[in-house]
Amino acid sequence: MNAVSDPAPATRRGGELIVDNVSHHFASGPRRVDVLQDVSFTIPPGAVACVVGPSGCGKSTLLNLSAGLAGPAAGELRWDGDPVRLGQNRDVGMAFQQPGLFPWMTVERNVAVGLRTRGHDKRDAARITAEFLETVGLTEFKDAYPTQLSGGMAQRVGIARALALQPRLLLLDEPFAAVDAFTRLKLQQEFKSLLKLSAPTVMFVTHDVPEAISLGDFIVVMSHRPASVVRIIEINREDRDRSSAAYAHKLSETLECLGVTSDMDAATDD
Amino acid sequence: MTSKEAEALGKTTRPRTGSRHPLQRIGLPLVGVVLLIATWEVTVWLNDLDSIVMPRPMEVLRALGDLVVSGEFWDDVVVSLTEFGSGYVIGVFAGVVVGVLMAEFSVFRATVHPVVEALRFIVPFAWIPLVILWFGTSLLGKTLLVAYATFFVMVVSAAKAMQQVDPTLTKVGRMLGMSRWRLAFAVQLRAAAPTIASSARAAAAIAWIAVVAAEYVGASAGLGVLIINASTSLQTDVVIAGMVVIGLVGAGVSAVIGWLSRSYLSYV
Ligand SMILES: Nc1ncnc2c1ncn2[C@@H]1O[C@H](COP(=O)(O)OP(=O)(O)OP(=O)(O)O)[C@@H](O)[C@H]1O
Ligand SMILES: [Mg+2]
Repeated sequence: MNAVSDPAPATRRGGELIVDNVSHHFASGPRRVDVLQDVSFTIPPGAVACVVGPSGCGKSTLLNLSAGLAGPAAGELRWDGDPVRLGQNRDVGMAFQQPGLFPWMTVERNVAVGLRTRGHDKRDAARITAEFLETVGLTEFKDAYPTQLSGGMAQRVGIARALALQPRLLLLDEPFAAVDAFTRLKLQQEFKSLLKLSAPTVMFVTHDVPEAISLGDFIVVMSHRPASVVRIIEINREDRDRSSAAYAHKLSETLECLGVTSDMDAATDD
Repeated sequence: MTSKEAEALGKTTRPRTGSRHPLQRIGLPLVGVVLLIATWEVTVWLNDLDSIVMPRPMEVLRALGDLVVSGEFWDDVVVSLTEFGSGYVIGVFAGVVVGVLMAEFSVFRATVHPVVEALRFIVPFAWIPLVILWFGTSLLGKTLLVAYATFFVMVVSAAKAMQQVDPTLTKVGRMLGMSRWRLAFAVQLRAAAPTIASSARAAAAIAWIAVVAAEYVGASAGLGVLIINASTSLQTDVVIAGMVVIGLVGAGVSAVIGWLSRSYLSYV
């Protein structure tokens, strides 16, 4: 079987995402809730940006804006030089915070439906689906329905659905939040090796600072609502060694930006 | 890990029914029915009621048997079911279409909502005099009345069901690049379908009530007519037999709709 018949990797390489002075707000009844305020940063092609910030600060909102699911109230997002258009962006693959699986479809069809919508033929979609269900370790459950899955399993299906699109811009909203520590480590490993195969531009929202250090090329630390960027912390190869002083330093730097005392044990979660 | 998960899955594949012993599954409902009939029998006996006022269960059963073997009875059943079926299908269809449009287009919603709210409390029975005036005792009149009754139940519940669809599903569809129509039909309507189906089942009861009520007031055939005719000739056993049939047919219709929605819409 020709498993490497995917479109030339070069065409799947990520582009550049620029978040330029983006502000956003929601109407909450008569009140206006400011969510993002002058957020600016750039993710270079193929880089992984991990976004951390307090709950409710606007991380998911930022992902929605990046995917073109909503337009920012002010500022601009640019993808490959062009403003992100409201509506369809065929380069995007996104795994949402709630898995958002179609409950009337099996796991397999939930993953395949995205590929079919993006124009893959049936056989192609089935092959890619099988491949990515394997990646998230759910091959056995391809015929199960979402109601039969645990929270973490459903989330993994959502991840597989996003990955299977082989997107040039991959948006992940706390993808590993609902899985146990062991599965999380495994998925992080898988994720790293996937990134080596194709190199999408990634925005990865997480509450887990060690995860951000181990996966990100840089960390975008956001403040309380209305969120702005507190600091952008570059992560180098040597920072990823959890036993190193460099790691401890990045960890405490990030936590400090989040306004948390750098108590390492308390930091592992949240 | 995964094999354990698979095992757990195997256990959950067949939820609901089947947890009880078959003897209990048939026996318990039987006990309920027997209790009902016993209460009836005892009430008649204790109060020493005349069979014109309240016949005993056996008398009703006999009347029922006579009805079933007579040809006219089946004609009445067919007439009532036809009135029900035509009106119900039209009402459900129109109600779902309008309800979905209300959920999808805010301009449409703003326009139609006050009209729906104004009309839906004018219960079908209030229309009966006008319906008879306009359509006589024809099938068309009853069909429209039943459609009306069904429509307003369905409009409101379909619009609500559509609005309650998990917004993440819509986002997912848009992220994948689905067209507006595909999103509306293949995602939102599909997600709302089980809720809409259960309202359709509730609407069937209301539609069936409308059929019988309309027949009581003005009709030349149907189960309602059968009952009214029997009551004018003081055949109370036939009246009650007719009521039993109305109950059974209604329950049958409801069961069929429930079965349809389970086999085509449910997830597992
Ligand atoms: N559709 C909406 N309508 C109104 N307010 C909203 C909407 N979506 C989000 N918000 C508000 O915007 C703020 C940011 O929400 P968002 O989901 O982006 O936060 P988050 O950083 O992802 O939080 P968490 O870490 O808990 O997932 C919240 O206060 C929320 O109440
Ligand atoms: Mg969020």
